[in-house]
Amino acid sequence: MTATSQHELHPDAESLSAFSEQALSERERAEVLAHLAVCGRCRQVVALAREAAEAGAGPAAQPSKTIAPNAWWKQWRLVWVPAAVAAALAVTTISFVIERADQHGPDIKIVTQNPAQSTPPSSTSPPTEQAKLEPPAAAVPAPPPAHTAKHLPSAAAESLPAPVPPAMTAQMPSEPGASEPESADRVDVTREAQQAPHEEALQAPPEFAAGATRPAYSQPEAGAWEARQQQAEQQRQAEQQRQAEVDTSHMRSFKSKAAPAAVHEANAAPPAGATQTVTVAAAPPPETRPAAHAPGSKSPGTATTPAMPMQLPSGLAVVSAVSGGHLLLAIDEAGALFLSEDHGVTWERVATQWTGRAIALRQQGQFHGALYVAPSIQNGATGGSSANADLAPPVVAFFELSNDKNQTWVSTDGRTWTPK
Amino acid sequence: MAPTESVAGAAEPGVPNGAAGPDCVPDRGLDSALAAELWRGCDAGSWGLTRDEFEQILLDAGTAQNFGLTETAALVPVTRKQQMNFFRNLCVGDLALARACARGNERAWEHFIATFRQPLTRAAIAITGSEALGRDLADQLYAELYGLNVRDGQRRCPLLSYRGRGSLMGWLRTTLVQRHVDHYRRTRREEPIENFDAPAPDPPPQTPARELSLLEQAIEHAVSGRDAEDRYLLAAYYLDGRTLLEIARVLGVHEATVSRRLRRAEKEIRKQILKHLQRQGMSRRAAEEAMGADARDLEVNLKKLLQNSQSEAFQEQAAS
Repeated sequence: MTATSQHELHPDAESLSAFSEQALSERERAEVLAHLAVCGRCRQVVALAREAAEAGAGPAAQPSKTIAPNAWWKQWRLVWVPAAVAAALAVTTISFVIERADQHGPDIKIVTQNPAQSTPPSSTSPPTEQAKLEPPAAAVPAPPPAHTAKHLPSAAAESLPAPVPPAMTAQMPSEPGASEPESADRVDVTREAQQAPHEEALQAPPEFAAGATRPAYSQPEAGAWEARQQQAEQQRQAEQQRQAEVDTSHMRSFKSKAAPAAVHEANAAPPAGATQTVTVAAAPPPETRPAAHAPGSKSPGTATTPAMPMQLPSGLAVVSAVSGGHLLLAIDEAGALFLSEDHGVTWERVATQWTGRAIALRQQGQFHGALYVAPSIQNGATGGSSANADLAPPVVAFFELSNDKNQTWVSTDGRTWTPK
Repeated sequence: MAPTESVAGAAEPGVPNGAAGPDCVPDRGLDSALAAELWRGCDAGSWGLTRDEFEQILLDAGTAQNFGLTETAALVPVTRKQQMNFFRNLCVGDLALARACARGNERAWEHFIATFRQPLTRAAIAITGSEALGRDLADQLYAELYGLNVRDGQRRCPLLSYRGRGSLMGWLRTTLVQRHVDHYRRTRREEPIENFDAPAPDPPPQTPARELSLLEQAIEHAVSGRDAEDRYLLAAYYLDGRTLLEIARVLGVHEATVSRRLRRAEKEIRKQILKHLQRQGMSRRAAEEAMGADARDLEVNLKKLLQNSQSEAFQEQAAS
């Protein structure tokens, strides 16, 4: 070999470049490969040229040895991004559920703790500071009387009139020294919370209200309402049945009073849009009822919402009702006044002692136990002296009846009415 | 512009005329139709090359490489099909641009810089692993390409050595690497010897000297008997420490192919060594025991063995 220089012994740059680019013929390729097998320098040239060609597509200032970073979506750190989003979503959802549960919690708590916290009004001591802050036992509405639910047939229940209007008045037990407005407020709050599902479920759709001009609903909506109403009715009956089993002693006090057949018959429901003022005596808590309804004693006059509508002997809808003590007065659409002494189980019609058409009933004062005779009223009616009035017990409560001419009559027992 | 027949009708001295069939191009000239097609395809006129100059460049490139034919067919007239095959495998556009730059055409240089400046700088940075060294290397090559070096009173432009085999960018990259490798090897030899630790003395060999001698002869015989591709694979993998993927990319084959060929080469070398030892009078068991000799006891230097054996083709090139 007569090599003039080391450089001349190697293939030129074009041959090596063409070898890397597979641009040589088979013969030329074999020659270059044979040289590469024995020449480390040319192997290094070919390898470096190949690396430079691969790095040529990258940035100018990036050496070939530098490993290009992976694509952003392949970086492992970004795996935590969807995981963090999912965790945040889960935490938010759980917080929202807990918050909603807390919002509904007080209602449930009041209803469930009602029997345990309630005490008979007769045995309650003067309210302490804590008692003033907490709702009184009697303020918690008791479930509707068991006998009402028991004697109401399902057909009558389905033809229930409109739910209790918001203008319903509530009367609290006449506990001496008790804060009546506060109790009344609490009654309203708890009553709304407790009755809201039933009111919503039992709210008749407009097309079921006779004589009412309401927008028509589609047939599927009516069917859905019927299904929802039946479901709510079943739940309500189950709840009443359970309450009835607990309140067996309360039921015994009404055993002797059989409801007339006419009451149990499902009459035409009153117009759903009729406004009624219903004030009934609420049943005391279950554990205090035996004492409160002992023979010879009268349940205190408490106000609550009757869960079941009143069925008057006339079959007409109630336009106004009021309760005091154990008395329950109601005026139907014809203006007839009815009196019930057993919380609406039996009714007797009161003879008309007023002029015009009776349209409204109100209660004045507080009924505490038995009704007191109001000498001032009677004296006003009979013209008695003021001396007798001083000897007579003070008037605690009385009923007022208004006719369509805005004239008022008063009564303490619901049977005898005198002009005011 | 000059017509093509001036090139086609030119006859080279010493070449028989009309010895080929009707498809042959007389006197190994360039087919005019093919030259016109290539002229239009590479847009050589944009670099200031006339058609005659372009055809002369093609003819020089074809003649220098014998149109891709073997040496024995050097005197055989080249057919038009052979010319077409040769020039279609040639990067004619890059060749025209390189020659135009070598002639100092400004438009060609503008196009050359706009096309290759940034890629060449990136390649130089990738080769050297340093931006400063890379830019220096690229600038040095640019100076050479522009013809600043003068030899024998003439500008020497390295672009004149480009003949269109492979892309111009590949040629530039390989030229850069050659400059860098040569510079590295030159400067590495200048490193002070105190930087190297003296190797520990080898322990006395446990294998008998005769068996070691036979084993060395067998290894040299087996390695030298391998073909060029196997030797390249062995050298690149075991001597240069290249990965299978790097070797595969150079050869243009799959990585698994390289691995399979390597395993096969190792197996065959082992088999040849055993056969050579048995031919030297050793039993098979003794030959296998000799194969288990400590490699540090052998005097065989594979690197020296491979690099000292030059291929015949380049030996002939060096001799010429």
